Amino acid sequence: MTGIDVALALLVVACLASTYRMIAGPAEADRVVAADLLLFGMVGIIALVGVRTASAATFDIVLVASMIAFLGALSLARTLTRGNR
Amino acid sequence: MSALEIVGQVLVVLGALVFVTAALGVVRFPDAYTRISAVGTAGGAGIVLVVVGALLLQPGVSAAVKVALIVALQLATSSVGTMAVARSAYLSGTPLRRTHYDDLDTGGAPR
Repeated sequence: MTGIDVALALLVVACLASTYRMIAGPAEADRVVAADLLLFGMVGIIALVGVRTASAATFDIVLVASMIAFLGALSLARTLTRGNR
Repeated sequence: MSALEIVGQVLVVLGALVFVTAALGVVRFPDAYTRISAVGTAGGAGIVLVVVGALLLQPGVSAAVKVALIVALQLATSSVGTMAVARSAYLSGTPLRRTHYDDLDTGGAPR
């Protein structure tokens, strides 16, 4: 299972980098973009951890999580314009 | 280790590399719009590569159906979400780094 471990480490690095941008980002849009990437990275981590532990519900969780990521991106975009379309 | 597993592990690592590239872009790019373009790629291609690789590592019929659904929905929605974020970033007045060309600038008229 070495490939999964390498991929998990890379995803953790990506999540840490986007967390840095979320904390440091000068504009609000930077924080929104970092939150978007963090959500996608967490979806990937969920998929890999589910495969690594041979869980039966892996792909159900990934399906729901990717849809929640889409809803999160849309609501963050709405928040960015203060509720205006 | 079967050939399916090897292909799956290669796909998983490739997807993770797409994510690392996007994270590098988010950290290093100069303004919000270039960062948004970096994230848009990872949301589509990265998730698809990781999930298809995970399917090859844990094969099954019901898993294959779910993965097909995930891939279709992810490819359809990630670009829409990214464009929504970029549009609100422009509407909320996030500064561009170089403004030689701003085709969206209407000179104060309502958009």
